[in-house]
Amino acid sequence: MSAGTETVVYTETAARGRTMSLSTRNTIFRALCLSSALLVLAVLAGILLSMVIGGWPAFRAFGLGFFTGSAWDTQSDQYGAWPAIAGTLSSAVIALAIGVPLSLGVAIFLTQLAPRWIRTPVATAIELLAAVPSIIYGMWGLFIFVPLFAEYFQVPVSNVTEGLPIVGTILYARSPTGLGVATAGIILAFMIVPFIASIARDMLAQIPTVLRESAYGIGCTTWEVVRYVLVPQAGVSIIGAIMLGLGRALGETMAVTFVIGNANRLSTSILDPGSTIASRIANEFNEAIGLQMNALIATGCILFLVTFVVLVVARLLVARMKAV
Amino acid sequence: MSAAPITTQTTVGHADANDRARVRMSVKNLDFYYGQFHGLKKINLSFYDRQVTALIGPSGCGKSTLLRTFNRIYSLYPEQRAEGEIIFDGRNILDPRLDLNELRARIGMVFQKPTPFPMSIYDNVAFGLRLNERLPKSELDDRVEQALRRSALWTEVKDKLKQSGMGLSGGQQQRLCIARTIAQKPEIILFDEPTSALDPISTGKIEELIEQLKSEFTIVIVTHNMQQAARISQFTTFMYLGEVIEFGPTPRIFMSPEQRQTQDYITGRFG
Repeated sequence: MSAGTETVVYTETAARGRTMSLSTRNTIFRALCLSSALLVLAVLAGILLSMVIGGWPAFRAFGLGFFTGSAWDTQSDQYGAWPAIAGTLSSAVIALAIGVPLSLGVAIFLTQLAPRWIRTPVATAIELLAAVPSIIYGMWGLFIFVPLFAEYFQVPVSNVTEGLPIVGTILYARSPTGLGVATAGIILAFMIVPFIASIARDMLAQIPTVLRESAYGIGCTTWEVVRYVLVPQAGVSIIGAIMLGLGRALGETMAVTFVIGNANRLSTSILDPGSTIASRIANEFNEAIGLQMNALIATGCILFLVTFVVLVVARLLVARMKAV
Repeated sequence: MSAAPITTQTTVGHADANDRARVRMSVKNLDFYYGQFHGLKKINLSFYDRQVTALIGPSGCGKSTLLRTFNRIYSLYPEQRAEGEIIFDGRNILDPRLDLNELRARIGMVFQKPTPFPMSIYDNVAFGLRLNERLPKSELDDRVEQALRRSALWTEVKDKLKQSGMGLSGGQQQRLCIARTIAQKPEIILFDEPTSALDPISTGKIEELIEQLKSEFTIVIVTHNMQQAARISQFTTFMYLGEVIEFGPTPRIFMSPEQRQTQDYITGRFG
């Protein structure tokens, strides 16, 4: 390209002898930035499109039954996503049920109760939790937590709940190996704590001191100040933080695949093995062919849409508080 | 210069003029520290029943610090501590065994910025009542209405009690905070620059309100605004650098201050 050689020649005197007009240079710079931005959008759209196209044969073959069906049979090519959807949702719900109180406890302790010298170390440790790779959580979960969970939770609890109505169904391990949906939920809880805790801490720290003092000034205990004034005041954005955690819990793959047991059958008990959308894809993708591959992509599509919606809602809620 | 003799002298000197005034709370040899910093030095003061006492002085003189010892709100911060005695109802407020929740229900506080809680107008006022007393619904309704009437807010909010308190104007929010405080029927109300965030009209309403409230409550108000102190208080305390320089009936402090520093401050020569 001849223009290229010219530029090289004139580099030293570029300040005086520009080869292009100012407006051309501005246009090029703007075009470069714009194309970076558009590239991201194009990648997003491309992923979504290829997911829909890849999953389409499965959606067409099974229709709405794909969402509700619980068969996953490679011999007869019958696929239904319900066990994986149920596993995804129930492990995420368990993760939130354990992780949210824990995170709020951490955030409240750090902003309201902790003496100054302990705040930074604890906050740093919590943030380091976020930096632990998920494979480590998976390994730790499988080798350390799973045997302990089997021996000290699944077995004793199953002994008590056996034959009881409702709890005997939900909390009964047919084979107490330690693997299961509940195990995955517990591991996920630890993984989402840093996310929820650090946002909740920022939000609580933003609340003006005078509001806190006036709640104490009316004769509240610390619990009452937190419960009735601080948490409602930070309210919407704490929900946003929880949604961010939920987004992570729904999509987490590696750690879950290690500890959930990877059963394709749907069990009514959270102590039994199950699978999530992400863990099923990770397990089967290597050997999947034909309609099975399409079915996997279709479940991925469902997961993508669910996490996308959750994340968008979360961002909106967090942004609303920050704008105030 | 020691402030203590002056305080005693002026108090005694004017006792006749206010013989119906009974001491409601008295501060004895109070010292206050922010970490190493000696914020209040040997404060001795009395506050009279159903009178408004204003605390004035330049920024950083310790007037807010002093106010914040009366309901021990400073104790939220571990590096702050007070020594000495504040006698209220025969007990020392600084006694660590004192029940803080009860103390704060009996000595209410209104802050420099309106602080409505994130809940409805009704719930804001009922908040303290629900914490400290178990009242049947009808009585709770009565107490809330009474408090809103006493704080001159009732006619403005009676049709929207279920709406959020955050939706009110600044002046209304401050009156809501006053309603929330008086709903608990405290004996003393502490005002920490209650009008510093308000426009002149809202300020006028709050001042009028304080004027009315003194028939029922003992009031201590910290203010930057000397005209405000002159308008609404019966007693004025002038503080400077953590000490009480002069205390006395408001007219005397403003007309014929005994201390040079008081005069300089009041005439605007410093502060």
